[in-house]
Amino acid sequence: MPFAQQLWQAMLRDLPLISGPLTLFFAATIMLWPGDLLLPSNKKHIWAPITLGVLAVSAALVANTANGSGFSSMFQVDGFTRGFQLLCTAAAFITVVLSQPQLNALQEQTVEYYALILFSLGGMQLLVGATDLVSVYFSVELMALCIYILVAYLRTQERSIEAGVKYFLLGAFSSGILLYGISLLFAAGGGVTTNLLQLNQKLALATHNNSLLVFAGVLMVLVGFAFKVAAVPFHMWSPDAYEGAPTPITAYLSMAPKAAALAAFLRVFGTGLASVHSDWSAPLGFIAAASMILGNVAALRQQSIKRMLAYSSIAHVGYMLLGVLSKDPLGGARAVWLYLLTYLLMQSGAFAVIIHLQGTGEGERLDDFRGLARRRPMLAFAMMVFMLSLAGIPPLLGFFSKFYLFMLAIQQGQYLLTTIALLTSAVAATYYLGVVNLMYFKEPTGVQLPRLGTALALTVGCTCGLVLVGTCFGPWLLDWAQTITWF
Amino acid sequence: MEQSLAVIGSHLFLVFGLLALGGAATMVFARSAVHSVVGFLFCMLALASCYLCLGAEFLATAQILVYAGGIVVLFLFVVMIVELSKYKEQTRFQLHTPWAVGLVVAGAAAFIAVFWQTYFSPSAPQALTLDPTLAQGLDVANQNAQAISRGLYADFLLPFEILSVILLVALVGAVVLAKAERT
Repeated sequence: MPFAQQLWQAMLRDLPLISGPLTLFFAATIMLWPGDLLLPSNKKHIWAPITLGVLAVSAALVANTANGSGFSSMFQVDGFTRGFQLLCTAAAFITVVLSQPQLNALQEQTVEYYALILFSLGGMQLLVGATDLVSVYFSVELMALCIYILVAYLRTQERSIEAGVKYFLLGAFSSGILLYGISLLFAAGGGVTTNLLQLNQKLALATHNNSLLVFAGVLMVLVGFAFKVAAVPFHMWSPDAYEGAPTPITAYLSMAPKAAALAAFLRVFGTGLASVHSDWSAPLGFIAAASMILGNVAALRQQSIKRMLAYSSIAHVGYMLLGVLSKDPLGGARAVWLYLLTYLLMQSGAFAVIIHLQGTGEGERLDDFRGLARRRPMLAFAMMVFMLSLAGIPPLLGFFSKFYLFMLAIQQGQYLLTTIALLTSAVAATYYLGVVNLMYFKEPTGVQLPRLGTALALTVGCTCGLVLVGTCFGPWLLDWAQTITWF
Repeated sequence: MEQSLAVIGSHLFLVFGLLALGGAATMVFARSAVHSVVGFLFCMLALASCYLCLGAEFLATAQILVYAGGIVVLFLFVVMIVELSKYKEQTRFQLHTPWAVGLVVAGAAAFIAVFWQTYFSPSAPQALTLDPTLAQGLDVANQNAQAISRGLYADFLLPFEILSVILLVALVGAVVLAKAERT
């Protein structure tokens, strides 16, 4: 068979695997051109419902993709891929809903905003299924490039530009480190493969000579990924990016790219570098412990709620790294997935409340929450639920996933790290309860707030309800987590 | 005949290598920015000739297209747009230079140590080879353009396609960040 014909057949065979991301790419391109040209300039607000429709179609395609591996085993669809793809898609959906009040207020309803969200989501969907270091690297870059632009999207505000530039420079730097690490691992494996499973076997057989090369490569890949998930000591960009970005994008940053990067983290270290577990377990343990401690302690002193949530998300990443550390990678993946699912609910609810307050020029500073219970009792109650759940107070959903994750860590014999996690959780409760204290026991200062928009009310209501009663559905959630598998 | 061609080839390689070094030196030491760019262009062309001497015609073409074409034009734009004369009086060595040099030396030493131990210690493994299956049925020495195309479109199809999306996103991003203020 001629070479070109072989290529064509291989492509036709493999394309259904990436139908979800392909839909996103095509839709985003058509929206940019000729879609934006054909739409009259007073109708730009309909891009939001169109984007939501595209996201729903992509989610349906992703959920129905059959298992399989393709593109010279660079991409694989399995339960793990589907689970994390759906998680990221849900995060993008919520972000588009949350974006509406701010985009309308700033008159920034532009097609590029939605197109960039779709492109970045496409990158994430490819990333979580990538089974080759080369495709991992390119997907990470696609995802990150879109996010840099989205962070700097409010280009008239100095803060937003500063955040974008900082994030871009550090991100580019970390990509360089990641790529260098990948090339070292490629060399250490004999220079024949970057496929994760094959590389795992090669590294297991690496000669004593190569051990230093393997260690250097593993360490650099670890640093690259730690940058991407914002783990201490590679977290410096995160608080500034969170604070400067438009608030809906902050919500997006804390949910979707984090989920995708953690998924890649799990797959690369769980399947590709499992044979050299001893090389990375100690450094990763240090990173996890440092993230928990520094994230929670630094969050205590923040005056801006966005910065506080940035540091708290660093701490949450620290907890989730316990799952990556697990010697049973699949069990770790399940625990992390469950954790991310509940984190998505709490975080999107909390950001919906912040965005609503921001619509009236408040919500940036913690003091804006002073006496919220008197002014808007329902909103304050929802915020209290989210804060308590983030703190991991039983019987809320946040406790359930945290319990599952910590139990796994104890079963794996990580007593020291679990102890640190428990202690720092107690520290975390201080600042989460601080917000509750401000809302319920302080005198209100601000003016009367306007009514909550339908979309925001729906988001807050749904997430609050789910966080409140989610634990009752624990067995179903655990069953659901069991569908996270790879082969 | 063959032998004398090989000798000429290796001599040519040396000549072009020296020319490239000269171009690079011009670029670094020239006072005027335009002279620097011309030195850079010279260096890149000489490097492309070096690749040709080594029988890597695809790499040579790509080198000319990307560096001698794209990057040099970009540099010239910057030289024309930015007024460089006000930067002339700056001191060449700043306070943090020793630290930077020290860090670079330490990093270089660490990596030389790693590679030394890996490849030159007594029980070093065989030399690195590219994946032989990538070049199946091809005479890589004479058909490296075909070998590269096979790698791009067969084995690395997915990353190649992702790369095209990345370039599209870069374009969109440049437009988003640079477009005029709405009035």
